[in-house]
Amino acid sequence: MRRFTTLLLFISLAATTAFGGGYQVSLHSMRNIGMGLIGTSLSYDASSLFYNPGGAAFVNEKWSFSGGVSFLMARTTFQPTNGMEQGHLEHKLNTPLYFYAAFKPTANLSIGIAVNTPYGNGLSWGENWQGRYLIQDLSFRAFTFQPTVSYKFKDIVGIGVGLVYAYGSVDMNKAIPLQGAFGDGTLNINGSTGKFGFNAGIMVHPVKGLSLGLDYRSKIEMSVKGANADFTVPLSLSAMFPDNKVDVMLPLPGNLDFGASYEFGKNKQWMVGMNLCYVFWNTYDSLVFNFETKTSAVGRTATPALYESKLITRVGAQYKMSELLTIRLGGYYDPTPVKDDYLNPQTPSMNQIGMTCGISLYPTKGLSIDAAFLYIMGMKRTGTFAPDNFAGTYSTAVYSPGIGLTYNF
Amino acid sequence: MKKILFIILSLALFTACERKIDEFAATANGLDFSNFVSVGNSMVAGYADGAIYMSGQENSIPNIMAEQFQYVGGGAFRQPMIGTEDGVGFQAIPGGIYCFTKMGLKIVPDKDCEGKLVGTASLKPGFVSNPDQATLLQQLFAPPTVTGPYNNMGVPGLQLQAAFFPGYAFYNPFFARMATAAASSSVIGDAMAQKPTFFMMWLGDNDALSSALAGTDLLLTPADTFAKYYPMATGALLASGKSPKGVVATIPDVTTIPFFTTISKALPWNGVTLTAEQAAGLNTLYTMYQHPEIVWKAGQNPFVYVKNDGSWAQMQAGDLFLLTLPTDSVKCKGMGIADQSITPIPRPYPIPGKFVLDGAEQAKIKVAIDQYNVIIKGTATAQNLAVADMNTYLKSFATGMVFDGIKVSTTFVTGGLFSTDGVHLNPRGCSIAANYMIQAINSKYGSNIPQANVTSYLGLVFP
Repeated sequence: MRRFTTLLLFISLAATTAFGGGYQVSLHSMRNIGMGLIGTSLSYDASSLFYNPGGAAFVNEKWSFSGGVSFLMARTTFQPTNGMEQGHLEHKLNTPLYFYAAFKPTANLSIGIAVNTPYGNGLSWGENWQGRYLIQDLSFRAFTFQPTVSYKFKDIVGIGVGLVYAYGSVDMNKAIPLQGAFGDGTLNINGSTGKFGFNAGIMVHPVKGLSLGLDYRSKIEMSVKGANADFTVPLSLSAMFPDNKVDVMLPLPGNLDFGASYEFGKNKQWMVGMNLCYVFWNTYDSLVFNFETKTSAVGRTATPALYESKLITRVGAQYKMSELLTIRLGGYYDPTPVKDDYLNPQTPSMNQIGMTCGISLYPTKGLSIDAAFLYIMGMKRTGTFAPDNFAGTYSTAVYSPGIGLTYNF
Repeated sequence: MKKILFIILSLALFTACERKIDEFAATANGLDFSNFVSVGNSMVAGYADGAIYMSGQENSIPNIMAEQFQYVGGGAFRQPMIGTEDGVGFQAIPGGIYCFTKMGLKIVPDKDCEGKLVGTASLKPGFVSNPDQATLLQQLFAPPTVTGPYNNMGVPGLQLQAAFFPGYAFYNPFFARMATAAASSSVIGDAMAQKPTFFMMWLGDNDALSSALAGTDLLLTPADTFAKYYPMATGALLASGKSPKGVVATIPDVTTIPFFTTISKALPWNGVTLTAEQAAGLNTLYTMYQHPEIVWKAGQNPFVYVKNDGSWAQMQAGDLFLLTLPTDSVKCKGMGIADQSITPIPRPYPIPGKFVLDGAEQAKIKVAIDQYNVIIKGTATAQNLAVADMNTYLKSFATGMVFDGIKVSTTFVTGGLFSTDGVHLNPRGCSIAANYMIQAINSKYGSNIPQANVTSYLGLVFP
C-alpha cells in the first residue's frame, strides 16, 4: 500500500494541461503522436492496450513495453472585449506520461496494463488577473490504470476489454469578490477520488495490409466526495463562509473511436491511416459544487458548461526508411465542444489544428527510441462566459516535444 | 541525451514569448482629450463614505475616465487632492459646520434596550477615527496637495444654479479649497477658464436629492429654473474656446439609492402591533395631546410621523424610512408610537419628518427628476452632446448585474455598488459608472475608448 501511495505521489507531480478541445489529453504514445495521434487500427506495441484493446493480441512479440513523456508548453493570452489589460497564462511545463506493458501467454491471447493520463487540465492565470473571480489556477488530473485482456481469432478479428480505474485529483483557487484589509477573499478546493470505467475494442484485418478498429472508452463520473474547501474571507463574513467540505462532480466523457490504416510497399514500408474520434462531451453539462455546510452564501452551485459532442478527425502516415529509422507525419482537427456563450477561462477551448511529426530509432532489434513533436497552431477565439459576464479574446499556441522507449521481444 | 536536452531547451526558449494579441483598436475618432474637465457635485468629486478622502478622489468617476482617455491621447487630470485618507465630511449646524471623518464598515456588538450585550454582532458603518474639530477643519481648509487649476471641478453639495454664483466659495468649503479667487470665482467660470477640449458634466442631482435626503419635497429646484440654467451650463463650457465635445448624465431616481430603500426593507411602515387594551390607551393619550386624528386599533398599526406642514399622520404603504432613522429609538424608546421613558404618563412620539419620505413627497420628487432628465436629454440632443442615462442604468441594478464574476446590486452593503453612506458609489461602482459614460461617448461620437477593468477597483472593504 505504501508503495502504491509513493507511486501516486510520483505521478501526481506530472500535471497535464487543457489544450485539446476540452480537457481531454491525447498524448499517449510517441509513435502515435508522430502520426497525428491516430491509433485505433494500429497494433505495433503495447500502446494498443489503450488505443484499442482488440489490437493488443495482434502484437507479434511475447512481451511489449512502451513508456514515455511529453513536455507540453501552452501559451495563452487573454484580452477583454472592451478593455486593454491583457492576461497571460503562467508558463508551466506540463508532462503527461504513459506506460504500457503487454504479455502474450499464448499466440492469440494478450494480457497487459496501461497507465496514462487521458484527461487533465492545469493552468494558472495568476492571482490578480481580471478573471480571478472565475479562476486563478486549476490543476485537475486523472490517471488511469487499465488491466486488459485481448484475444484474436485467427489473424482476422481481435477483441479486447480493459477495466479502467481512474484516479483523479483536483486543486483549484479562485478569488471571491468580498474584500478585507488584505484584499480579495479566496477559495481553495482540493481533493481526490478513484472511479471505474471500461475500455473495449475490436480490430479487424479483412484483407492483407488493411486494418480497421473500433474502440469505446466509457464515461467516468469523477465525483469527489468531501473535498476540502477552504475559504479566506474578512472576519465579519467568516460565519457565512465556514471552512467546509464539498462534493465536486465532473464527468470524464466517453469516446467512440473508429480507425482505418493500410500498409503497403516493399516490406510494408509505408503505412497511412486515419481516425474518427467522437467525444461524448454532452455529458459535461455543468460543474457542480455541493458544499456540506450550507449558509446564505454557500450552497450548491452548478456552473454551466453545456459542452457539445464533437468529432475529431485525424490522419497520419509512417515510412520505414531503413531497419534503423522510421519517420512519421500527421495532423488533426479538433473542434471545440464549448459554445461561444460559455467560453470559460477555466478551459479556454478553441478549434484546433494540430500538426505532428516523429521518428523512431532502432539501435538493437526490438528496442526503439521514439520521439515526436506536436505543434498546435496559434488560434484566436472570442467569446463570453455569460453567467459571469466575462468576455474577451483568447489566443493560444501549444508546443509539445516528447520522448519514449518501446521494447518488443 | 545531451542533444535531446539541448533541443528541448531551445524549444522552451523559443516558446518563452507570449502570444501576441491586439484585438482592441483604441481610437478617439477626432475627439480631443488633451484637456478633459469634469463638472458636477459629490458624485463627480469622488466623495464617498460620507467624506472627501484621498483614495475616494483617486477613484472618482472622471479620474477613472481620464485614465482610459490615456489610450486615446488624454492629458494629465489634476484633482484638488485632500491630504488625508481618513477624510473630512461635514454638516451644517447653527453657526457653523460640524466635521467628521469618512465611515467604514465595523463589527458592532448588538445590545438590547437595557444596553446589555446579547452576544451577537452586526456590520454597521461607523467613523474610521475621531480627530478633534480643529484638526478636521485644518485638513478641510488646507490647500490641496496638488496645485490647480483642477480638471475635476466636482464640488460636493453643488446645485445647478449655484454653479454660476461668483463667490460660491464663501458658502461651500469644498469649493473654497479649489476656487481660483475665493471672492469672485464660480464653478462654471473656473471650468470655462481651463478651456476644456472635452468635458463631462453630471450636475443637478442635488436639485432633487438634497431635498429628498432631508426627507422633504420643499427644497426642489423648480423645473423652469432647471430648464433655464442647464443649457446655460453646458453652453458655457461649449463656448469656452476650444469647441469641446462632452458627455452629460441623467439624475438617478431615489428608488435606486440605498439611502432611501434600505431601512424599509427591514422595518415595515405598519410595524406597530397592539392589543385592544394598548390601542385604547394610546387613543386616550393621543386625544389628551390634541391629536385625536391618530386612531390606534388592535393588531397592526402604522407608525406616526410629522409631515412637512407640522401635522401628524400615520404612515402608509410605500412611505420610505431614510437610512438616518435612529432605529434604536424606534426599537427601545417608542419612536413612532409613544415615548415610554417619560413617566408617569408617556408622551406621543412621532417620527421626525426628516427621517421619512412619504408617498406624496416621493411623487413630487419623481416628477421633478423626470422633468430634469427630459431637460438634460433635450439639451444633449440640441447641443450634440453624449448622454449617459444613469437613471435608467442604475434601475437595472435593482435585481443585480454581473461584471467579470462580480455580482453587484443597489442593495446596501451587500450589493457592493454603493459606499457606506448609501448615497455615493464606492470605487467599484465608480468604475462601472465611468464605463457607462465611456459607452455613451463611444456610441455618440464613434470613438472606441477602452473601458476600465472593474475588478481592479475595490468594492466595500469588510472588517
